[in-house]
Amino acid sequence: MSGDVVYRDTEGTLRERARDALEDEQLTGSLRAASESWAAGRRKMGELHPIPDLRRRAREIRTENIRELPALLDRLEERVTGAGGTVYRAASAADACRYVIDLARARGASLVAKSKSMATEEIKLNEALEEAGLRVVETDLGEWILQLAGQHPSHIVAPAVHLNKMQVAELFARETGEEVPTEREELVAFARRRLREVFAAAEIGVSGVNLGVAETGTLCVVENEGNGRLVTALPRVHVALMGMERVVADWDQAALLLELLPMAAIGQDASTYVNLVTGPRAHDEVDGPEELHLIILDGGRGALRGTSFEEALHCIRCGACLYSCPMWRSVGGQAYGSPYSGPIGAVITPLLEGMRGERSAELPFFSSLCGACHEACPVGIPLHDLLVRARAAVNPPEKRQARWLFRAWSQAWRRPALYRASVAASRVGMRLLGRRGWISRRLPGPVGAWTDQRDIPARWPPR
Amino acid sequence: MARAGAGGAAAARASEWGVTRAVVADDRWLDELGVPEALSGAGLEVVRWPTGRDWRELLGLEGPAWTCGVTVPAWAVAERGTLALEAGATHGRSIDVACSHHLAVLPAGRIVGTLAEGLALSFRAGHPPASAVSLVTGPSRTSDIEKISTLGAHGALAEHVLIVEDARSS
Repeated sequence: MSGDVVYRDTEGTLRERARDALEDEQLTGSLRAASESWAAGRRKMGELHPIPDLRRRAREIRTENIRELPALLDRLEERVTGAGGTVYRAASAADACRYVIDLARARGASLVAKSKSMATEEIKLNEALEEAGLRVVETDLGEWILQLAGQHPSHIVAPAVHLNKMQVAELFARETGEEVPTEREELVAFARRRLREVFAAAEIGVSGVNLGVAETGTLCVVENEGNGRLVTALPRVHVALMGMERVVADWDQAALLLELLPMAAIGQDASTYVNLVTGPRAHDEVDGPEELHLIILDGGRGALRGTSFEEALHCIRCGACLYSCPMWRSVGGQAYGSPYSGPIGAVITPLLEGMRGERSAELPFFSSLCGACHEACPVGIPLHDLLVRARAAVNPPEKRQARWLFRAWSQAWRRPALYRASVAASRVGMRLLGRRGWISRRLPGPVGAWTDQRDIPARWPPR
Repeated sequence: MARAGAGGAAAARASEWGVTRAVVADDRWLDELGVPEALSGAGLEVVRWPTGRDWRELLGLEGPAWTCGVTVPAWAVAERGTLALEAGATHGRSIDVACSHHLAVLPAGRIVGTLAEGLALSFRAGHPPASAVSLVTGPSRTSDIEKISTLGAHGALAEHVLIVEDARSS
């Protein structure tokens, strides 16, 4: 039934999840429509703006930012503190979650309103807060839909891109016990009304940070819906979680990246809302938070500086590499089983997890290495190169076997006699394996994947 | 438009939207233009910032649901139609998103060419920036359902900008 909401986040292997996704016609249809609409927007942008120039400059800026990261973070911390905010440097996800929980307890808070943030997905803040007995409500429409569905985002910028309006209406109805209309406008109005209750009551607002501007200690929160503003304006306490790499030096740099971000992300020349927050409210203001807490998250990022993966830190999380990727476009983000999907997810998930675990072993191989991601990236990250490096770095056992085979093959074919002997042997072998001139069954061992989906002629020319 | 027409234009727009309350930034420029009076004259309840009302009321959960936030942008970007709202004692950072509609009254002389020029005004050296500078480009929208743009997600359902001649522009 088209209205069913399937939970497929972390079950099975990546390959199994990808296969399930490919068989889901509703999902593949949504993904195709989303990617096409993104591509149309990007084409339009390319006509209006000289993107290559912006891109070159953006790459220079990000290279410089990451090179000077420690000094920039010190300056940011100094300026945020100077403006009346509090800064906490979290080494790990657990540290960051604990800080928010302790703060919520100290302030006697019970309801936390969240605006969209990938960093909070990364550290699983919602789960941690709920375990500590707090109620957490996502207020970005897409994130709220996913929260109701019990799913993780399938895209950095458009988290619920894999669900259709029938499914959304069903989720809303299940949540509220009310009859919910299935027209898009009415669904949006419904969510608006429900979430205003949350903005009015939440004691703590949690947001991400797109950019931290060291020069003035200003946090930039970019969004289109207005929930980012409400979350940073109404609750008494604002907690902003920033990945440590998201710092820039000054407003010239910030201006360029703030222009580039929506162009790359959604093919539009401006986001509706860019909230620039410098410290808590002044003493004579009646809205804005009384307390501002900035959590700067390392979570494995710092260790990437100075390595061959450093450029992964240049990412501004626009999601363009996802839409451009033939793998992501086919299966969507949830098959990846990690908050970050697509090419950038396949690179940074293993890196942030220290190249350990099941996801690390699978993700770098989930790419055709076509390089479309590199072309789409507004800051010019060579994602295809990073993927190849990540493959070498994770070195999973089953690939070790393949590596020996390739090494042996390469040695053998350097000797003409062995080359000729191997060709003669394979000719005989293929005839033996063939049935009526064709090898059409799946062969065992290392050639299994090659023969699984295709038929090979057992002799040349084929009959 | 000329200064004399601003009040009438604001009232006409508010009537067209069908809003019954205006939450108006306490900016002298608006009084000079006669905007609050014109809105009152059109039958709206005019509330100045700070309002002394609680969030439930300002968010339209209690009392009138159709309200109009009236702001005066600190600057605006010609290239992209972006407005910059600087938060302060007389200009709450939530006015334009708490209300269902947003009416900005922009002095023409405050229009700059690019985003970078505008940001340089709000964040200049030796001058502490406002605790919140909100850049606003058009009404609130979302593409989270089926990737189709739908207006009025959490912020203003509609936005209207009155560009009014001021000393610098004339």
